Amino acid sequence: MTALLEVADLTVTFRTDGGLVRAVDSVSLSVEAGETLALVGESGSGKSVTALSILGLIAPGRIEQGRIGFAGEDLTALDEAALRAIRGDRIAMIFQEPMSSLNPVLTIGKQVAEPIWLHRRMAWREAYAQAAELLRKVAIPDAEARLDDYPHQFSGGMRQRVMIAMALACRPQLIIADEPTTALDVTVQAQILALLKGLTQEANAALLLITHDLGVVARYADRVAVMYGGRIVESGPAAALYRAPMHPYTEGLMRSVPRLDGFASERLPAIPGQPPDLAKLPPGCAFAPRCPHVHDACVAAAPPLHALDASRSVACHRHG
Amino acid sequence: MAEPATDSAASELLRVEDLCVHYPVTEGLVRQREVGAVKAVDGVSFHLRRGETLGLVGESGCGKSTTALAVLRMLTPTSGRIFFDGEDITVLAGEPLRRLRRRMQMVYQDPFGSLNPRMRVRDLVGEPLIVHGAGRRSAEYRNRINELLDLVGLLRDMGERYPHEFSGGQRQRIGIARALALEPELVICDEPVSALDVSIQAQVINLLMDLQQELGLTYLFIAHDLSVVRHISDRVGVMYLGRLVETAPKQTLFAKPRHPYTQILLGAVPVPDPAVESTREQPMILGEVPSPRNPPPGCAFHPRCPKAEDRCREQRPRAQSMGQEARVACHLATPQARK
Repeated sequence: MTALLEVADLTVTFRTDGGLVRAVDSVSLSVEAGETLALVGESGSGKSVTALSILGLIAPGRIEQGRIGFAGEDLTALDEAALRAIRGDRIAMIFQEPMSSLNPVLTIGKQVAEPIWLHRRMAWREAYAQAAELLRKVAIPDAEARLDDYPHQFSGGMRQRVMIAMALACRPQLIIADEPTTALDVTVQAQILALLKGLTQEANAALLLITHDLGVVARYADRVAVMYGGRIVESGPAAALYRAPMHPYTEGLMRSVPRLDGFASERLPAIPGQPPDLAKLPPGCAFAPRCPHVHDACVAAAPPLHALDASRSVACHRHG
Repeated sequence: MAEPATDSAASELLRVEDLCVHYPVTEGLVRQREVGAVKAVDGVSFHLRRGETLGLVGESGCGKSTTALAVLRMLTPTSGRIFFDGEDITVLAGEPLRRLRRRMQMVYQDPFGSLNPRMRVRDLVGEPLIVHGAGRRSAEYRNRINELLDLVGLLRDMGERYPHEFSGGQRQRIGIARALALEPELVICDEPVSALDVSIQAQVINLLMDLQQELGLTYLFIAHDLSVVRHISDRVGVMYLGRLVETAPKQTLFAKPRHPYTQILLGAVPVPDPAVESTREQPMILGEVPSPRNPPPGCAFHPRCPKAEDRCREQRPRAQSMGQEARVACHLATPQARK
């Protein structure tokens, strides 16, 4: 059986003043129906570009190579019209900023009904009725009455609920959520993520969750892919990956975050150095300058992602 | 003060008593009338000892940053009193206020917006010295800048560069060097690591803790990330809608949270460990934070509180001592921890 989404060997480049930047480099990942894959990384690691390239939203960037298989089709081979038919219908996206992703001059009802009307070719009145149903589903109190409200009349958390309602409108097979709760308070974050997870499971949709928060990953993800410097450095089932991280970056990251249940020690074992500048990546492993286990091979060539068993992969010469 | 102080009073650097900061809400374009007030901070009391870190947590709009601004006297409180090193600074103005400012400095959240992009790092770090009377050409001034760059782990020749040449973590080091230039006693850190990448946060937290040890600094550490606050603080205060609902030493607060809001807040923070998360009870969280313009009567938390009773809807709970420096503003709290 093939996965619902199968990204293989994807490379995306951007032309900048500082030269050609390889924002995503030979990335492979897969997500199955009903599963949550967390794509974890820091700013500039390539996680958002990976997500946006699935939807064909990376202009002026260019897909240099690779395949994006979605339900048997290669999305990189589709033209703009075909992609537009898929976006918002079979693949939906939820962005980080609920403030700027909603149109401020359209009512909430119109914005939620639009994808249904557009993709399902339904009468407007019917689509509008479904919008009310969707708002109820994402637990917006007094849903019917709020259809005529504008985004500014909603709180941040409520706007993100609206975004989820819009994403679910056409019963997508894949939902991509890019830092969906980063702009929200922690109690609201917990509400929104629980809602998102519950509704995707109910619909047996696949969820690609992009985040930098290791706590969020631990609570909501089934599998994890860790990105660094445009590449996936490690992937595997969440429980196994947290129990025994294989890549020195994953290991360092997990040790360096303070945690609520941990020993509040004097010093955090921080990772030294800075995240890499994608325009000036070293020839070898991007993590080599910060790695405690670095040796000659790491500086000479970047290690490929290497399968350790059926579920886990790591890109590190130590496990080559 | 010439008065001989007791031990506890001598070690106390900051005391805030019943602080209120209310912003008027006006209506009308030409003739503005006051129609109400946003009670950004509404009756907050706490103290801070020398060398100690008090963490202030809460969600956006809870008043933690306004509290900081009032302590720095960047705004004048509506009521209440603020004592710094035994002196009442609530209504201080002019030259005495300027002199006071040397002793309390701030580290800001956004290392991109808080540094003038047209100034060299050297001048950014030295600016507070100039403002407070140092001569730009003196050897003393140059030496002090080098000293500060060393202190925060930046190379001396980095002083010649501009902020855009630095990453977020390095810029936050510049911000910290600036804050330390005048050798302050109290440093207020307002979300100092929340804009930084995860792998950089630990570096900056370690730096802040090292500097505290080395220089004997006192921190008021404001953040929404409870894990970070737990790591760096000695005591923690939890704010909700302008009020301090619970204050306690960190061991007590995180092990036995007494206020229902603290309990919910802690439950909402996921632990980075799937094994722990799978066994943890997921908290039921009701609703969202109401507008501070129209706070609920009684206990401000009662509409979201799973344990609310009639008196919670009518009567505002006063902070009561739970022993061992713990204070809780909840009708249902008893000195024995409830869980």
